[in-house]
Amino acid sequence: MNKSKRFEALAARPVNQDGFVVEWPEVGLIAMGSPNDPVPSIKIEKGKVIELDGVVRDKFDFIDQFIADYAIDINVAEKAMAMPDVDIAKMLVDVNVSREEVTKVVLGLTPAKIVAVLNTMNVVEMMMALQKMRARKLPSNQCHVTNVADNPVLIAADAAEAALRGFDEMETTVAVVRYAPFNALSLLIGGQAGRGGVLIQCSLEEATELQLGMRGITAYAETISVYGTENVFVDGDDTPWSKTFLASAYASRGLKMRFTSGTGSEVQMGYAEGKSMLYLEVRCIMIARGAGVQGLQNGSVSCIGVPAAVPSGIRAVLAENLCTSMLDLEVASSNDQTFTHSDIRRTARTLMEMLPGTDFITSGYSAVPNYDNMFAGSNWDVEDYDDWNILQRDLMVDGGLKPVSEEEVVAVRSKAARALQAVFKELGFPAITDAEVEAATYAHGSKDMPQRNVVEDLKAAQDMMKREITGLDIVKALANSGFNDLAGYVLNLLKQRISGDYLHTAAILDKDFNVISAVNNRNDYRGPGTGYRISAERWDEIKNISQAIKPSDFDE
Amino acid sequence: MVQQKTVEDIVREVLKTMYQEQGVKAVDSVPPSNKLVPERDYPLATKRPDLVKTLTGKSLNDITLEKVLRSEIGADDVRITPETLRLQAEIAEGVGRVQLAQNLRRAAELTAIPDNRILEIYNALRPYRSTKQEILNIAEEMETKYNAKINAALVREAAGVYERRNRLRAD
Repeated sequence: MNKSKRFEALAARPVNQDGFVVEWPEVGLIAMGSPNDPVPSIKIEKGKVIELDGVVRDKFDFIDQFIADYAIDINVAEKAMAMPDVDIAKMLVDVNVSREEVTKVVLGLTPAKIVAVLNTMNVVEMMMALQKMRARKLPSNQCHVTNVADNPVLIAADAAEAALRGFDEMETTVAVVRYAPFNALSLLIGGQAGRGGVLIQCSLEEATELQLGMRGITAYAETISVYGTENVFVDGDDTPWSKTFLASAYASRGLKMRFTSGTGSEVQMGYAEGKSMLYLEVRCIMIARGAGVQGLQNGSVSCIGVPAAVPSGIRAVLAENLCTSMLDLEVASSNDQTFTHSDIRRTARTLMEMLPGTDFITSGYSAVPNYDNMFAGSNWDVEDYDDWNILQRDLMVDGGLKPVSEEEVVAVRSKAARALQAVFKELGFPAITDAEVEAATYAHGSKDMPQRNVVEDLKAAQDMMKREITGLDIVKALANSGFNDLAGYVLNLLKQRISGDYLHTAAILDKDFNVISAVNNRNDYRGPGTGYRISAERWDEIKNISQAIKPSDFDE
Repeated sequence: MVQQKTVEDIVREVLKTMYQEQGVKAVDSVPPSNKLVPERDYPLATKRPDLVKTLTGKSLNDITLEKVLRSEIGADDVRITPETLRLQAEIAEGVGRVQLAQNLRRAAELTAIPDNRILEIYNALRPYRSTKQEILNIAEEMETKYNAKINAALVREAAGVYERRNRLRAD
C-alpha cells in the first residue's frame, strides 16, 4: 500500500507521541465502570456497618473497615443508598439544591454508590457540580518552586515572583534530599517577599516533612499519600491508622495539612485488584474524610499518565476532584504533572477544573522552567504565564493569577534574594554573593545561576536541623538585617498556629493574614448571579494585559 | 441547669491542671459553657481573641516582633493549646464536619506528647513495625502518661486490625 501523506502529517503531530492503551479491566487499566467494580450495598446492625459494597464485615480489608467505621454517616446511609443513582446526580447539577443538601446525602453513600452516581454524569454536568460543590467560594491556585541545582537564592526569587503573580500556596521539593531545610527556608522567605501571607510546604518523606513543620519552617503539608487497595497502602509504608495519627499530629502543632491520592496509583504499583481507577480513588477520598483531614490533593497527580492513556480517563480525573468536593473536603486539583506532548490536550485537561474553579486549580503550576521542575515536569510552567492570564481574560474566569510588570517582578525577586542573603549571613550559612543575588533577580532558570559549593551548603543545611533552628530564629535574622516587614510576615505565619483558624477546610491567608476558608467563605453557588463572581477590581486586574493595544497608542 | 454547668466547668478546670505538661503554666481562661457558633465566632483570632491563648498563657497581641527580638518569646509561645483545638473542633462541628472535629480533638490530646515521641509513635504505627504488644503499650502510655484517651482507643483499634490483616512485625 502507498503511504498516505495525510497520515504521515498526522503521525508527526505531538499528540501521537503520547501513549495510549485499550481498556484492560483485569489489571485495573480502566478509568470508570470496571466489570469488577462492586455493586453498591450497605447493611447496618446495632449502629455498625456489617456489609459494605457486597463484602461482609469479617472479610473487610483494612480500607473497608476504616471507611465503614469512620467515613459513612450511618444515620442517613440506608435512605441515601436507596436513592436512584441519577436522582443523586441530578441533585448535584440542580442549582436549586444547595451544596449542604447534597453533602448530607453523599456522606451516607458507600464507595461503589458514589462511583455509580458519577458514572451517570458527563463532563459538563460534572463541571456544573464542581462549581457548586467546591468548598471555598473563592477559587485559588498553588505552584511548585524547585530547581535542579537546589539553588536557594533562585528558589527565593522564583517564590517571590510566584507570590506576586497570585499563587496562595507554594510547594518545593528537593533534587538532593539533604538540601531540604534550605529549600524550605528559601521558599518561606521568598514567598513572603512576594506577598505576605503565602503558605508554603516542602514535600519530603512523611516524618521529615512533619519535623520541618514542627520547627516552623513550613506552614502546611500535603504529601501524605493514601491508596485505594490495602496492598498498595502497605507498599506505601502506611495504613489508614498511621495516616490518621499523622493527621492529628499535624493539627496538634497547629499545622494545616491535606492528604494526597489519585487515580492510577494502584495500577502503577501493580495491585488494582481489577477495579476501576475511579472506584479505588473514591476509597482514598473516603479515607481522607474518615481521617478528619480538611482536604485532599487529587486528580491523579503524579500518575496522570495512566488515566490519560485509557478511554474516559480525563473524565475520571474530573470525577475524582468532584467527589472530593462532594465529601466536603478542600480539593487541590492537580493539573500538575506532564502527561502529554499536545498543547491542545494539556489545555483541555485543565479547563475541566479551571472553568468551574476549585480550591486550588493546579497543585501545582510550575513557577520555574520545566527543566528545573523536580516534580517531574508540570502541565503548566513559567513559560505559560501569559497563556494562563489570557485564558482568564478570554473567558472571564478567575484562575488565581494576574498579569504583572517586569519592574514589579524584578523588584520582588531582588528583595527575596537579598533577604535570603542576609539570613544566611545572620545564621552563619555559606555566603550568598552579590553576584548570585543579581543573577537570581534576572534569571529564568538554574542555567542562569553561578554554581554554589554544594558540599558546604549540605553541611550547613544539616547544621540548621542539628541546631534546631526554628521559625522564630528566622524572624530574628530577618529583623536584625533590616527586613522588618518580612520578619513581621514570618511571625504572623507562625501566629496562625496559635489560633488554629487555618486548620479549617480550604484555608488560605490574604495579604493581611486574614483567614479565608470554607467556614467564613463557604461556597454558596445557587445558579446565575450567585456564588463566586469576579469583582470589578479583580476583573480590572485580569483585563490589564500589557499586550493589548490602546487607542492612545495610535494618537501620535 | 446553671449549677450543673458550674460543676462541669470546675471538673474541666481540675482535669486541665492534672494533665498539664511539666514546666508549662496552666492556662487561665475558662472554656465557654456555650458552644461556639461559626458565623459569630470564626475566625477566633479576630472574632474571639479573648479565647485564644498560647501554651504559656499569652494572648495573640502579646506576640510581637519587639518581644521576639528581646527573646521574650519562645517556641512554646507559638504553639496551639488543647483548649484552642477543642474550640476549633466546635467550629468544625458547627459546619457539619464531624470527622474534622474528631481529628482536632485527637490533636488536642497530642499537644501533650513531645515532638520526638510523636515521630516515634507514627513510625511504630506503620505496617510491620511493631508487635501487637508494642502497639498496646503505646496505647497504654498515651492513656496513662498523657491522658490521650481518644488516641489510645485509635491505637488499640489499629493493633486489632493489624493482627487480623497480618500487618504486625513478626518476631
